[in-house]
Amino acid sequence: MRLRFALPLLLFLVLVAVSGLALYQTSHGKRDPQQLPSVLLNKPVPTVEIPLLQQGGSVFSLAEYRGQTVLVNFFASWCLPCRLEMPLLGSLANEGIPIIGIAYKDRAADTEQFLAEFGNPFHAIGVDTDGRIGLEWGAYGIPETFLVDQSGLVQWRHAGVVDQAVLETIRPMLP
Amino acid sequence: MITEISYFLLLLALAASLMQTVLPLAGYWRGQGSLMQWASPMQLIGSGAVILAFGGLIQAFVLSDFSLALVAQHSHSMKPMIYKISGVWGNHEGSLLLWVVVLGIYGAVFAWCRNPMVEKSLILMVHGGISAAFLGFALFTSNPFAKLAYPPEEGLGLNPVLQDIGLALHPPMLYLGYVGLAMAFACAVAGLIQGRIDQDWARRIRPWVLVAWSCLTTGIVLGSWWAYYELGWGGWWFWDPVENASLMPWFVATALLHSVIMVEKRGCAQSWAVLLAILGFSLSLIGTFIVRSGLLTSVHSFAADPSRGVYILGILVLAIGLPLVLYMINGPKLQSRQSIAVFSREAALIINNFLLLSATAVVLLGTFYPLGLEMVNGAKISVGPPFFDSTVLPIMAFGVLGMVTGSVLAWKRGWRGVARRVLLLAAIAGVAAILVGVGLGYREVAPLASLGLVVWLLVGIGADIYSRLHSAQRLAQGLPQLGMWLGHLGIALLMMGALGEAIGQSETIVRARAGDTIPLGDETLKFTEVKTVRVDNYVSLQVTLELYDASGQQIATLIPSRRHYPAERQETTEAAIRSTLLGDHYAVLGDGDPDAGFTLRLYYKPLLPWLWIGGVVMVLGGLVSLVMRRNKP
Repeated sequence: MRLRFALPLLLFLVLVAVSGLALYQTSHGKRDPQQLPSVLLNKPVPTVEIPLLQQGGSVFSLAEYRGQTVLVNFFASWCLPCRLEMPLLGSLANEGIPIIGIAYKDRAADTEQFLAEFGNPFHAIGVDTDGRIGLEWGAYGIPETFLVDQSGLVQWRHAGVVDQAVLETIRPMLP
Repeated sequence: MITEISYFLLLLALAASLMQTVLPLAGYWRGQGSLMQWASPMQLIGSGAVILAFGGLIQAFVLSDFSLALVAQHSHSMKPMIYKISGVWGNHEGSLLLWVVVLGIYGAVFAWCRNPMVEKSLILMVHGGISAAFLGFALFTSNPFAKLAYPPEEGLGLNPVLQDIGLALHPPMLYLGYVGLAMAFACAVAGLIQGRIDQDWARRIRPWVLVAWSCLTTGIVLGSWWAYYELGWGGWWFWDPVENASLMPWFVATALLHSVIMVEKRGCAQSWAVLLAILGFSLSLIGTFIVRSGLLTSVHSFAADPSRGVYILGILVLAIGLPLVLYMINGPKLQSRQSIAVFSREAALIINNFLLLSATAVVLLGTFYPLGLEMVNGAKISVGPPFFDSTVLPIMAFGVLGMVTGSVLAWKRGWRGVARRVLLLAAIAGVAAILVGVGLGYREVAPLASLGLVVWLLVGIGADIYSRLHSAQRLAQGLPQLGMWLGHLGIALLMMGALGEAIGQSETIVRARAGDTIPLGDETLKFTEVKTVRVDNYVSLQVTLELYDASGQQIATLIPSRRHYPAERQETTEAAIRSTLLGDHYAVLGDGDPDAGFTLRLYYKPLLPWLWIGGVVMVLGGLVSLVMRRNKP
């Protein structure tokens, strides 16, 4: 009879235990709530044709990169954290890894100014003015980076700034 | 200077809340009424101090005082005044302070009301404990009055998506709802301490539950409406963790609303009502604070910080754990000895409670399951709309069946003669509606079932009203039911809006230039012009679309636009919506230029405005119940 009245407390304690454990892991760097899985993992990239920033609105195709491992990076001139990762992306580009930038909800003039100011690590720059491509890719907030393998499948996704630590985790996947 | 005073006022409020908790508790322990009487004045001092401090913060935003870190990060001198003010609660620190302010307002109103001294002091004691915990949280982990050593010339602005009237009002309404449940929670805990939950208790708690429920409903509807017209996706509910966080307390508050009536009218289900009052506020706490703790992530969440998370978890353990321990010890004393007939309003209300609580449990599970799974095997998943649609909606369907059944049954004795006729009529109408639907060619189960349920509910309420009000002397008996009828009618209208959109929505995506004509079924849309307009803090690109009906008569002009905010370097889309009682025309401007043409997304959403009308009618029901409360048992 008493058990009925203790039940809410027991359920609550379970909830607390799970939350406490998660919090412990978060504060000890073992868990990152920003790190979200992509529903696209091991699936083909959603948008293949992407309008280009330059060359008067023509499109380029991600299919052109079949056979190569590419990074797809959503960025914008109004996004402050995006500035932080440009140097690292630049050094990756120098290693010969093609990086495709997608300017998310940004104006062309602002994007160009941003690239002039903080460097342009991109092999090609697509535009996503109304956020539709971001929606299809399930972009969560930017900056956000996807790794697409040689057969055009999404292998990894990271929401937030790509820093040295993040880079180490994907090193094995890069050529 | 003002900010220093405000900070000091928060410290004062913290001290007052601590006194408000300790003194009545000590007084109750030692049987000293004189100590307990301190609760009310302490509450008034604390509330006053918090409200003044909040005024200080508003002033800093209005004057664009960028020496405050909060103002520098979230405001901008170019912003319109109303959004400078709403910017106060558009961030973690400010919204936390708003939460404490609302808590203070409720507490002050309660301290002002006439209530028996012992009960009142115990309730304020609990209330003071909550205030103290959150003032401590605000002061020690998220101080809104933190200063910058080198104030910047200009602020970083507020996200333009958040510069919107719907969003300016949404959080305060939601907080009024969440925190209103704190009052019910305090009553429940005080009742448990005394071991007495009776009809007086129910009468004391009921207005607070009604106020909280009405505000919560308003807040949720406002948030949904904002998502509908501002996000430009045409959706109105996304099962996002933050939306779920507001839905769970709503379910529980609805259950509480119904079970408090049982305690008041029949003196049964006391331990159940107490548990619901505790759960309602617990879920509000979880809802408000879990998204700030770094545990769950959401598009709506503020910047997460694990050190805050530890403090939050500590508060939750105390605020929820202690009452549940008390419930375990004193709950068994509250058992009622009333027997309940199978066909009676009591039984129907218990089933209603069970369904609402199941829905809450499912949403809670869907929200926390990813976290639990991650702890077990490290997998990261997210639970999306398909899960919620296929679990919550069937539960709600049974709830709708019960809404008619419960309201026609009488207390205790069960079947009234007329109840059978009302139910039969409603059932026939519902089945007939489904058959008509099948006849029109619809084959999917969910929309057909919803159609049947909407008709069942509308006819059931109508017949119930008719059966109770068709003679003058029954009018007086029927009037106290008005709130219930409105509440249930609101649900029916809301379902009608959702259903119309679900089965009748049409979407057209075109690329068009000025001068083009776009056919939309019987109607046509004429793209007449493109222009750029400068408004205070943004530049707006607008296209004008003229809508003509089948006979060539112009019926509306739609002007969807895109705004560019130079200070934030951000773009927002503003959908153009033309609402009639029959449905919404919804146009969104995509990208493009005048030469190559613009992408346009055009929707027609039949009956959708009834969603909002339904929400308003529900809130009206809550307010009517509040005003027309019967004072005698």
